[in-house]
Amino acid sequence: MNNVKVSTKNVNVHYGTKQALHRVTLDINEKEVTALIGPSGCGKSTFLRCINRMNDLIDICKVDGSITVDNEEIISDEVDVVSLRSKIGMVFQKPNPFPKSIFDNVAYGPTIHGIVETKTDLEEIVHLSLKRSGLFKEVKDRLHEPGTSLSGGQQQRLCIARAIAVNPDIILMDEPCSALDPIATATIEELIDELKNKYTIVIVTHSMQQAARVSQRTGFFHLGELVETGETQKIFTNPENEKTQGYITGRFG
Amino acid sequence: MFYWSLIIISLGIYSAYIFGKSRITSHSRQLEIKTASLPTYYAQYIMVWCLLPALIVYFGWIIFEDQIIQNLVLANFDFDLNPALNASLLIAEIKNVALSDSFAEGKATEILNAAEHYASIKYVSSISFYLSILIVMILGVMFASRKLQPSFRAQQSIENYVKYFLFFCSSVAVLTTVGIVFSLLFESLRFFSDVSVFEFLFGTKWYPYIPIREGQSGSQGSFGAVPIFAGTFLIMIVAMCVATPIGLFTAIYLAEYASPRVRRIIKPLLEILAGVPTIVYGFFAFVTVAPFVKTFGQSIGIDASPTSALAAGLVMGIMIIPFISSLSDDVINSVPQSLREGSLGIGANKAETIKRVILPAALPGIVGAFLLGVSRAIGETMIVVVAAGTAPNLTANPFENVTTVTVQIVIALIGDQEFDDPRTLSAFALGLVLFVITLILNIFALRIVKKYRERYE
Ligand SMILES: Nc1ncnc2c1ncn2[C@@H]1O[C@H](COP(=O)(O)OP(=O)(O)OP(=O)(O)O)[C@@H](O)[C@H]1O
Ligand SMILES: [Mg+2]
Repeated sequence: MNNVKVSTKNVNVHYGTKQALHRVTLDINEKEVTALIGPSGCGKSTFLRCINRMNDLIDICKVDGSITVDNEEIISDEVDVVSLRSKIGMVFQKPNPFPKSIFDNVAYGPTIHGIVETKTDLEEIVHLSLKRSGLFKEVKDRLHEPGTSLSGGQQQRLCIARAIAVNPDIILMDEPCSALDPIATATIEELIDELKNKYTIVIVTHSMQQAARVSQRTGFFHLGELVETGETQKIFTNPENEKTQGYITGRFG
Repeated sequence: MFYWSLIIISLGIYSAYIFGKSRITSHSRQLEIKTASLPTYYAQYIMVWCLLPALIVYFGWIIFEDQIIQNLVLANFDFDLNPALNASLLIAEIKNVALSDSFAEGKATEILNAAEHYASIKYVSSISFYLSILIVMILGVMFASRKLQPSFRAQQSIENYVKYFLFFCSSVAVLTTVGIVFSLLFESLRFFSDVSVFEFLFGTKWYPYIPIREGQSGSQGSFGAVPIFAGTFLIMIVAMCVATPIGLFTAIYLAEYASPRVRRIIKPLLEILAGVPTIVYGFFAFVTVAPFVKTFGQSIGIDASPTSALAAGLVMGIMIIPFISSLSDDVINSVPQSLREGSLGIGANKAETIKRVILPAALPGIVGAFLLGVSRAIGETMIVVVAAGTAPNLTANPFENVTTVTVQIVIALIGDQEFDDPRTLSAFALGLVLFVITLILNIFALRIVKKYRERYE
């Protein structure tokens, strides 16, 4: 059994007067892949964005309850959001490379955090991150071309490289494969499998198969509530809740 | 004439529409064939064919009527016999007499007859005007109604007409531009037949006074425009030094930091600033800023003149702030939120995100805003007239009087000299230069934007 990395207790989220999450309590284990599934609009992204306080960007969004990362409370005004986020990488549904070169995209995080001192160190980190994300071979001859010139799947792997370049503990992925074809998806799934040896990963996905393939634990959301959570194998073969059963067998959702 | 024709034409196209619609409906019912398009399109088709000939006649008539009537009336006068007669004066007199009896007193019988002649022609003309409009409308409808068959694809035709109409609208601006260029070019050529291009472009003395009498001493005109260009440039630089940072920072504040409430207050205020007439800025520059600049100059030991490039440039910069800030604000707002989240998600703070991600992404738009500001600065006249003086000094010292291209154009055109005097014509040469410079600026801006797009989209 792994240590608990992120722990949420009774998290409520309101967008204005509309409540998007109801008392969500969930533990996320270290060096494991946790998948979040559920029908569209049930609050998966909202939950994910609570963990790195990305919801701060939305004026009308109010989060309460308790979330701890490494046993430290993060739902509080005193928290240093910037350093929290440097510990938690995020990969978005749509690849969002910066309008910079491939190299600069990956170098962005290490540069702003002052992780590296020399140019060769920086190069090393960039190359290493690109290698880990499985992109290096494809782009090593054109590191100075714009990141936006890559294909969708390559862009997504670039975004993953960008996230792991700052050496985070946790990587949040919000439907990272929804814009990709099956081959690119397979590449990313392999990558996730590899990354979990080093990082704690939370992935939102609409694909049951993907959740089953990559994750160790799964949480099922429905209408803003966490209906059921447990080991992936159990959720997919023998769920306790009939809603879960209904969703994974495709009867609703 | 205008109102009556408006009524006739509107009634005409309305009945054409009704006619077309009922005709095609009954037609398709008789033949028991479904129409190829909706009946409205047939009706619109008829309407277009009713309206177009009417408009052509209308505009043709108002353009040519006067000239034709004049020629008819003046045909009775023999200008060869009487060289003292002036055609335009004569026709004015005849028109006056025809309009009102009070002018008729004491006029020669010749004129009185002509006036009567004029009035009768005018009367016939106006009747035939309405008649011909009616006739062409009917002809148009008759011509078009041959096509009122259910198999005719009226919608496609209408679509084509719409296309032609839109093309016509878009060519208006282009043709106007071409017209402007040619008139500028033509008048400038006349100027350059008196003054050499070389002297104009590279001469450093602007003294546009040509002796009025032969042999008058002391004043030999000199048309070296370099001081004017330099003055324009100097003021533009001062203005952009004020407007670019302040405008850009305002935009960043508004787009990234301001709460919605603050934004709601500041944005309209800035827009008001953009709407202030430039002459009002001129007052402000002259009354408040120029004396301040003078005192400031004295305090640091520079002898400033009461009106100066600095004063005009500062105020012009303030005038340009809203253009830069409002455009850049739009551009920054249109940078996708996903880029912001990507950067913040890595743990960048707001300032780093803005500096390293948002501004680079918004750069083409910001450059566009900047160049727009530059062309405003170059084209601005009033502030400069009031606050920078009119002396064509060649200097890089912003505490001195300078003058700009636009100001010299105004001075050249409001003088009381003849129109083909080089002093007047110099306005066109200056205008041409202004035009070419703004053109180059625009091409430059487009290039930058395009290059950037290619790289990052
Ligand atoms: N910025 C916002 N403003 C207002 N309401 C929002 C906002 N973002 C999300 N919501 C609401 O919160 C609820 C949960 O949204 P969320 O994006 O978390 O769903 P999701 O599970 O990620 O759905 P999907 O699978 O479609 O991505 C939805 O009902 C949505 O309408
Ligand atoms: Mg979502």
